[in-house]
Amino acid sequence: MNTTPTSPASLTELRDAVRDTPGPVVATGAGTAADWGAPLVGEATPISVAGLSGVIAHNPGDMTVSVGAGTPLADLQEVLAASGQRVALDAARARRGATVGGLFATADAGPLALGFGTLRDLVIGVTTVLADGTVARSGGHVIKNVAGYDLAKLLHGAYGTFGVVAEIVLRLHPLPAATRTVALQVPDPAGVPAAGRAVTDTPVEAAALEWVDGRLLALLEGTEAGVEGRASRLVDLLGADAEVLATADADAAWEAHRDAVDVRPDDRAVLRVGVAPTRLGDLLGGLVADLGAAGVTAAPATGVATFTVPAEPVAVDAVHTRVADLGGTSTLRARPAGSAVPAWGPTPSSAVLLRSVAAAFDPDHRLGRGRLAPWLPVPEGASA
Amino acid sequence: MSTTTTAASSTTSTLAREFAAVLPDDCLITDEVGLRSYECDGLTGFRQVPAVVVLPRNTEEVAACVRVCARHGVPFVARGAGTGLSGGALPVADGVVISLQKLRRILEIDVENRRAVLEPGVFNLDISRAAGPHGLYYAPDPSSQQVCTIGGNVAENSGGAHCLKYGFTTNHVLEMEVVLADGSVVTLGAPTAEQAGPDLRGVFLGSEGTLGICTKVTVRLLRKPEAVRTVLADFPSVEAAGETVGAIVDAAIVPAAVEMMDSLAMEAAEAAVGAGYTVESPSALIIELDGPAEECDEQFAEITRICEEHGSTRIHVADSADERARVWKGRKAAFAAVGRISPDYIVQDGVVPRTRLAEVLSQIAEMGSEVGLRVANVFHAGDGNLHPLVLYSEAAGEHDAAEDLSSRIAELCVELGGSLSGEHGIGADKACSMGRQFTDDDMAVMQRVRTGFDPAGLCNPGKIFPTPRLCGERPGPFRPHPLEEAGVISRL
Ligand SMILES: Cc1cc2nc3c(=O)[nH]c(=O)nc-3n(C[C@H](O)[C@H](O)[C@H](O)COP(=O)(O)OP(=O)(O)OC[C@H]3O[C@@H](n4cnc5c(N)ncnc54)[C@H](O)[C@@H]3O)c2cc1C
Repeated sequence: MNTTPTSPASLTELRDAVRDTPGPVVATGAGTAADWGAPLVGEATPISVAGLSGVIAHNPGDMTVSVGAGTPLADLQEVLAASGQRVALDAARARRGATVGGLFATADAGPLALGFGTLRDLVIGVTTVLADGTVARSGGHVIKNVAGYDLAKLLHGAYGTFGVVAEIVLRLHPLPAATRTVALQVPDPAGVPAAGRAVTDTPVEAAALEWVDGRLLALLEGTEAGVEGRASRLVDLLGADAEVLATADADAAWEAHRDAVDVRPDDRAVLRVGVAPTRLGDLLGGLVADLGAAGVTAAPATGVATFTVPAEPVAVDAVHTRVADLGGTSTLRARPAGSAVPAWGPTPSSAVLLRSVAAAFDPDHRLGRGRLAPWLPVPEGASA
Repeated sequence: MSTTTTAASSTTSTLAREFAAVLPDDCLITDEVGLRSYECDGLTGFRQVPAVVVLPRNTEEVAACVRVCARHGVPFVARGAGTGLSGGALPVADGVVISLQKLRRILEIDVENRRAVLEPGVFNLDISRAAGPHGLYYAPDPSSQQVCTIGGNVAENSGGAHCLKYGFTTNHVLEMEVVLADGSVVTLGAPTAEQAGPDLRGVFLGSEGTLGICTKVTVRLLRKPEAVRTVLADFPSVEAAGETVGAIVDAAIVPAAVEMMDSLAMEAAEAAVGAGYTVESPSALIIELDGPAEECDEQFAEITRICEEHGSTRIHVADSADERARVWKGRKAAFAAVGRISPDYIVQDGVVPRTRLAEVLSQIAEMGSEVGLRVANVFHAGDGNLHPLVLYSEAAGEHDAAEDLSSRIAELCVELGGSLSGEHGIGADKACSMGRQFTDDDMAVMQRVRTGFDPAGLCNPGKIFPTPRLCGERPGPFRPHPLEEAGVISRL
């Protein structure tokens, strides 16, 4: 009898499970984004990587850590904090137990992306299991490394297609000694781009800059004296509508931001979009009136916005079209169970490469079948 | 004349005819003398005269040239400025070199969105020159930045001194236009911070010209930092300098740059540009901080204190822009300057975990003295990226010993848990060492990527991956990562 483990506890078991499970397979982590991207097609057997959890090697002096892909980010941050370090990634769903592998596969990120980039920038090595059971590693344990192709980039945002991520090596950053949050009243979304520029034109260097609940929040990180000086300079430069938030208020404001982007409404779809900062005004203007958007948050320096629209194909499609017209990109995040809304925007010219590389990695399209459709189409006759 | 040569030259004349149909005369080189100037890149020990060199002027012409190659199954090699140090732009025998030197326009400096749109032949430094008047700059700063192209930077994922804080080329490129090996044109990435789906842009970056030809690139620009503080600190030993770097990291300070030089490197640099280095000092660090003024000053005071604590014998603060430029000039001139203290030299590029710097440096010194060769060190200490310069004399017959020592140094880096290359790439130079760092499966999977991009294998073949023809029996066996040996991690 085939006793396929669906919760392998080691890389070997994971390899065997991926190779030996017949038909389509879906890798699962904590399940916090099980409904992101396009729906799976066919009866995919779930294989959990939650058993590959925990720190494999942490060398504080080198500021790197390797972990099993099933490690919850929040747990990892706790371990690292003991050495005064962190993964400079603050994706909201980490608070629901999201794993490093899951956050990586879904290209998730939070406000700190302004200062530190996303996992695409922070992952320096990856071990992956291909559909045929081949185990491959790229990158390594050093931050600077150009030997060989960077397979981690292919797996970032691949939603479990191409390969099952088993282990990840991350570069770390020091925990800031002190932080301050400066809040600027910006009631009208139309004012967000200009308010954002008012901050980025100053030399104070915000690590995060987000508009939520009618306020623009600028997070400053650094030394105690440093952030104190920078925060008061920023308030002076921004004028009477700006203030430095007390610690508890700052914590509450950022928690409210997490609440806004980490929503799972019953009847609405959540979208994350990105445009050039100067197009953000065009995007935000009319988002609510024309597209029925709600819960809008936006990062004026990166041009990223998250919001919900009715979970109707027409409404979601309208977002994709509008963002594409503005030269941006859009991805479906949460959607109500059973709703059939398009996950991806217009197919990019590079989809030919996704298809040809996928044909070399997973010719039967077993891994995450359907997740990247229609960019990576489901093979003919495989839709049952 | 052998039949193969005849066959090759008839293909060459067919190719030349077809190129002439898509390019003006002055964009095509077929004469022996002209071809010779493309026979190598910065790794001058590897030479191969190509059959034809084409100099297209725009994307359409690049694509047309690639289609000619594809039609005839002829391999081609993209070339920027030819400053690469791993033989990445080394031509293929009977193949075509596609030079991007005529695509050199800065298409746009978008001040508000802080990005620049560039043709691939634009020199790295010219991006910052164009952005400078707007208070912006392009962060990755290879020492060759005056003469290397952004297309070459994209292909090599080039780094520079300031990449410690700001990241490498891959962290600064948003979007690229790429001509694939069949002559089709695709866009990788998007001109936005947020990108959807697998990051093919990131796969292309650092692929050393083996996945296609980049014909346009959109990069991020950064706001110039408010304050910059630079210090040159001498140390009584390489170990003391290494420990200082560790102490700075432990103090949770992320400097913009931390560079280390040993006495040989300083002697050479001093002779060449008079940067104000203490030639007698066994080692020195250049440490630079940048950012908001208050933080910079505070951390600078702490760094000075850490240097003193670790026995620094001289702390020279470069307190004007001119003085700072002088300190950096010595560092950037160091490679070439080594020519003043040795008739010949080989530049190596390897990475170790930063905590193993002292260990690797003393092993390198030992390996050098065993074979009677001097090794100068000037490198990016903050991220453990070594550039040992093996000094030798061709005339004295030391070439092979020097090559061998240099390769063993790169392989030592891998043994210590590091990498064969931090920024110069694998190219033709280190393809035969790849098996030290990666298993056959690792490399076979990378080859699957290549198959997806370039099924016919026409795009810069013979680079990165070991081939029996190139390596013979030489590639050593894969050795497990030290953490694997210690049982801390396991591959399976
Ligand atoms: C003195 C000196 C100092 C250096 N310092 C540094 C340093 O500090 N950091 C660092 O990273 N490097 C350094 N280098 C190495 C070199 O300058 C870089 O690798 C640089 O990026 C190469 O650019 P290039 O235009 O000369 O490219 P080339 O040498 O012409 O080509 C390099 C590779 O890129 C490919 N290529 C070129 N253009 C394209 C394109 N448009 N599309 C696709 N592929 C392309 C080529 O096929 C080749 O594989 C140094 C070199 C020298 C000589």
